Amino acid sequence: MKAWVKRLLTAVSMSILWLGLSGVSAPVLAQELSLTPRQILDKVDDLFRGRSSFGLGTMTVTTAHWKRSLKMEFWSKGKDKSLIRILAPKKEKGTATLRSGNDMWNYLPKVKRVIKLPSSMMADSWMGSHFTNDDLVKESRMADDYTFELTFYGEKDSQEIVEVTCRPKPEAAVVWGKVLVTALRKEYLPIFIRYFDEDIRLARTMTFSQVTELGGRRIPSVVTMVPEDKPEESTVIMYEKMDFNIGLDDGFFSLRTLQR
Amino acid sequence: MNSLRYGWRNLWRNTRRTLITLTAVTLSTAILITSYALMDGLLVHAVSSATNLVVGEVQIHAPRYLADRSIYRALADPARILRGAREKKIRAAPRRYGYGLVAVGTKSAGALFWGVDPELERTTFDLAGHMAKGQFLAEMPSRGMILGRKLARSLQAEVGSEIVVVVQAADGSLGNELFTVTGIFKAAGDAIDRNAALIHAADFTELFVSGDRIHEIALNSRGQMSTQDLATLAADLASKEEVKTWQQLLPAVSDMVNLFDVFIWIFGLIFILAAGMGVMNTMLMATYERIPEFGIIKALGATPWRIIRDVATEALALAALATLLGTALGLAGSYYLQEVGLDTSLFAGSYSVGGVAFDPIWRAAIGLKVVLVPVVLMVIISLVASLYPAGLAARLDPVKAIHRP
Repeated sequence: MKAWVKRLLTAVSMSILWLGLSGVSAPVLAQELSLTPRQILDKVDDLFRGRSSFGLGTMTVTTAHWKRSLKMEFWSKGKDKSLIRILAPKKEKGTATLRSGNDMWNYLPKVKRVIKLPSSMMADSWMGSHFTNDDLVKESRMADDYTFELTFYGEKDSQEIVEVTCRPKPEAAVVWGKVLVTALRKEYLPIFIRYFDEDIRLARTMTFSQVTELGGRRIPSVVTMVPEDKPEESTVIMYEKMDFNIGLDDGFFSLRTLQR
Repeated sequence: MNSLRYGWRNLWRNTRRTLITLTAVTLSTAILITSYALMDGLLVHAVSSATNLVVGEVQIHAPRYLADRSIYRALADPARILRGAREKKIRAAPRRYGYGLVAVGTKSAGALFWGVDPELERTTFDLAGHMAKGQFLAEMPSRGMILGRKLARSLQAEVGSEIVVVVQAADGSLGNELFTVTGIFKAAGDAIDRNAALIHAADFTELFVSGDRIHEIALNSRGQMSTQDLATLAADLASKEEVKTWQQLLPAVSDMVNLFDVFIWIFGLIFILAAGMGVMNTMLMATYERIPEFGIIKALGATPWRIIRDVATEALALAALATLLGTALGLAGSYYLQEVGLDTSLFAGSYSVGGVAFDPIWRAAIGLKVVLVPVVLMVIISLVASLYPAGLAARLDPVKAIHRP
């Protein structure tokens, strides 16, 4: 799960790269920081993502009606390939999601079938969490659909932070009206990502906390997503183990691996 | 009594004239009855298409269920509602709903699962007989599934296809299961066509881990009770729940029915005017023709009042006979159109309004008003049309009346 969080950030940063290359963004603030918004997001993103990664974690989903934890392992490569497999509880054990580019497949061990997610289901919840299927794939689209701007840097709540605002391009068909990324200025560790709807009302907040050393890097080991309209609900991902640059080849992200 | 006998006898003094008038009134009555029955049938048809297929006349949900269709907004005491409906001999079908994913091979789509009791659906609604292919669900749970028409098409599913189902169960777990398509519906309204996947209630409960949650009870008396009475009854049975009539559930159809009603009155008026003119013309001519005869009667000492009374009696006798024949003829025509109907599919194909599919067979609906309105109107028109020239004759100087050409 964390993998795609990283991906989102990567995507954000990639898009900034795009803008940087095309000379669209040349903010004064960024010059003072000696980094473009793209580079900042790239830094943020890089924290979670090497050329490839492996991780182990637990996702705890709390809703008004139930609370459950899924233990899962995940692999990623580049910005558009990932595989997530559920290890526990028993009912879901072996259930896996493969994402390659904009396509997603789920493997269902109980019926031993692979199904491809239709585009109409992309806005639906992933495994009952507060993340959508789209969250898992959209990073690669974000680069094309958003513009990036450094909107704040300096001290806030006695922390030196930077803030990058991502706005959709006018013609882009996207869910969010605005995405605000807040990170610590020092290590570019992310603190918040806030998602705003089309009316620029806060829809959900992703919070990063508990910075720990995992896989040789200092990264936030807890990611919490809270929907604004149901503040009593949440999805919390706790990372237990991370390995970076483990040398996965593309063939690993295949339907065959998915069914294993 | 005498005057009725005279009137009757008078009618047959000029058989040809009487027969012409009789035919005019009879045919007009018959045509009015038949067309009125046919137009009323359109209304009845629209309402029954809207209610009998699947919606019912009244539905009961938990408060706010219709707003978000959350699987957690279930009826508090569905057993009590079903028991109450059974005691009042009102048919009721309980339904459970949940969203999920259906896939056939590489095709997949979102679907709204309906967990239904096949036997109750069969006895309460027409949906079970509305199959394009295959059969409705078996009474025992057997992982069978019926798909809406467009959903089946987008999945390229056929009867016998294996369907992979993935849902978010009510306890948060991931429910998945294999089903087999046992049938595909005919056009049943856009919502059903696009995303309905019907499964047995027991299969639904297992898939969604939904326990005894029931989200909807649809009541259908098939016109035995008025919608308002049924809604009142439903509100009594389920005081804490949300009761909606089909008019509220299908506002587009309800609006259309109201519009039809206005059209029917307008067209009915035009028909009545046209038929009335014909009858009036015939009656006027028939009575004008007899003005010299009235002159003679008056010369023989009849009072003007006597003439008017005789003519009125004649007209009444004629109208009675004609409307009787016309009713018989009109009812025969209406009965045929009620039983066999007009097949409009040649012109319109299959059509739906406001998400409700309509049977392309247009049938008449026979009712009391369908007969009463044309008969009363025809009698009144016949009477008025004959009294005017009679009154004219009654006031005329007998000599002038006799010499009137």
